[in-house]
Amino acid sequence: MQLKHFKYTLLISSILALSACSAPGHKGQDEAAAAADAISGAQTSGVGDSSNFGDQAGGPGQSLAKRTYYFDYDNSQIHDQDKPAISANADYLIAHATARIILEGHTDPRGSREYNVALGERRANAVADFMKEKGVSPEQIRVVSYGAQRLAAPGRTESDYRLDRRVVLVYSKK
Amino acid sequence: MRQLTSILAMSFFMLFSHAAFAMLSMELTRGVSGAMPLSIKPFTIQGQMPSQDIAAIISHDLKNSGRFKVSTGSADDVVMGAVQEVGMNRYQVSFQLIERFKGKGTSQPTVLLNHKYVVSGEALRSLAHHISDAIYQQMTGVRGIFSTRLAYVVVQRTGGATKYVLEVADQDGYNPRPMLVSTDPIMSPAWSHDGKRIAYVSFENQHAAVYVEEVATGVRHLVSDFRGINGAPAWSPDGRKLALVLSKSGSPNIYVMDLASRQLTQLTHDDYINTEPSWSPDGKNLVFTSNRSGNPQIYQLSMASKAVTRLTYEGKYNARASYTPDGNHITMLNQESGLYNIGILDLDTGIFRVLTNSTTDNESPSIAPNGSMVLFGTLDNGRSVLGMVATDGSVQIRLPARQGEVQDPAWSPFMV
Repeated sequence: MQLKHFKYTLLISSILALSACSAPGHKGQDEAAAAADAISGAQTSGVGDSSNFGDQAGGPGQSLAKRTYYFDYDNSQIHDQDKPAISANADYLIAHATARIILEGHTDPRGSREYNVALGERRANAVADFMKEKGVSPEQIRVVSYGAQRLAAPGRTESDYRLDRRVVLVYSKK
Repeated sequence: MRQLTSILAMSFFMLFSHAAFAMLSMELTRGVSGAMPLSIKPFTIQGQMPSQDIAAIISHDLKNSGRFKVSTGSADDVVMGAVQEVGMNRYQVSFQLIERFKGKGTSQPTVLLNHKYVVSGEALRSLAHHISDAIYQQMTGVRGIFSTRLAYVVVQRTGGATKYVLEVADQDGYNPRPMLVSTDPIMSPAWSHDGKRIAYVSFENQHAAVYVEEVATGVRHLVSDFRGINGAPAWSPDGRKLALVLSKSGSPNIYVMDLASRQLTQLTHDDYINTEPSWSPDGKNLVFTSNRSGNPQIYQLSMASKAVTRLTYEGKYNARASYTPDGNHITMLNQESGLYNIGILDLDTGIFRVLTNSTTDNESPSIAPNGSMVLFGTLDNGRSVLGMVATDGSVQIRLPARQGEVQDPAWSPFMV
């Protein structure tokens, strides 16, 4: 029994030791975490219901509803097949001067994170420039690049990467 | 007995629940040739069993440095020590590093190190790292990095929701503590050179902005929130300035912000991508990534003359460069034939070497303050984890995550 008791004590103390080393940090960190929690309630982007806008717009709904445009590796050139859809959305913006969009630029996960942020911005700017040339007011467009921070497909194959390299057009409420 | 059983059940629950949050663990995946044999004996214990096994922590530290072949058996160099309880949660810890055979003909052991400390139970783990630093320095002549810290971003995907946490942990992955928790991406943590502040990019307001947060208190300030990119913060060696990337002019260019006055100086002025600035240790130069030649390569900018020189020619893609502490090398992300590896370039000879001959992509190299290792992001069965590789390529370590994915790491400076 004595040996058994010793074993238990040893077990308990080692368990406590293990708990102790992974216990939460001191007060300052808890406050930091609390402060962080307070801000993390912020809404994600993607405000505005896309299908509603599609319905309201009528017309070539198919083209207008296409709001994700794909790009080649380390490249920010718009594919020809996406130009009708971008044009349709540009027309909608021209017809609805109060409508606002966000163009979110994204890349695949390979390479350097900050370089990818820059690359994602170039892609979004390419779409923005195309729309401005069509006559959309710059005030209606906001560009945000997430680089590789928000992947469309979390896998690591070329077909995932193809889905990741994209610009997403989002109608915003303001 | 029933009470004991319930205590045990409770303890198991605690153990289990904490196991789910077990910290990053270190796994040596490559090594170790030319390592010095070192015997580390279990420390003798007097009184209450201390919460930490000091000899085990020292062994773990020194083994993972790649410089030592650690055993408990016999070797020319031996570490011995004792832990004695000297009061409520107070411990006296002593250790000796002894060289048994010094030179030919003499068999008299030499005491190389002999130290004694009194600390609280909570400080035992950091004391063990401090002892590892002392042994490492004595035996290699180089300052140890076992008391430094790592900052990194944890990404947890649960269902449709993603949580991003900026964490700081000890160099061996223990003691992870959150600095920022957000539902939006966090990236590019950068330590100030005194280790007291971390600059980072947060998308919490649905666009990138740069914040500076005090590590000890969690107090933070928004320092850059211009239209477009606010990214890639890098501290000047004196801690007064932040190099960063802004695209408010239309294209990403490199600026330096004086933190006291918030005054900006623009350093690059073109329509290409210019990003990822990093200061030389003497503060006289910046390296940065630019695609001005058609694909990303590393350039050096002189702060005095503003002259720009291209540094990398090997590989189709070189990015995220930073200087080694001696200023003689730069480490970077390099892509030659598909995979992204961590490389090192000797600035005097121009000799470039790939350090990670891995079968997966790597990212975000960050060099240890003593120049011995590079920390980076890598993949383990498709999951993002951290890795370390010696700057001489001799040893490679993986630090698997507890939960979720770990990415975008930054090694702290020496903590004073």
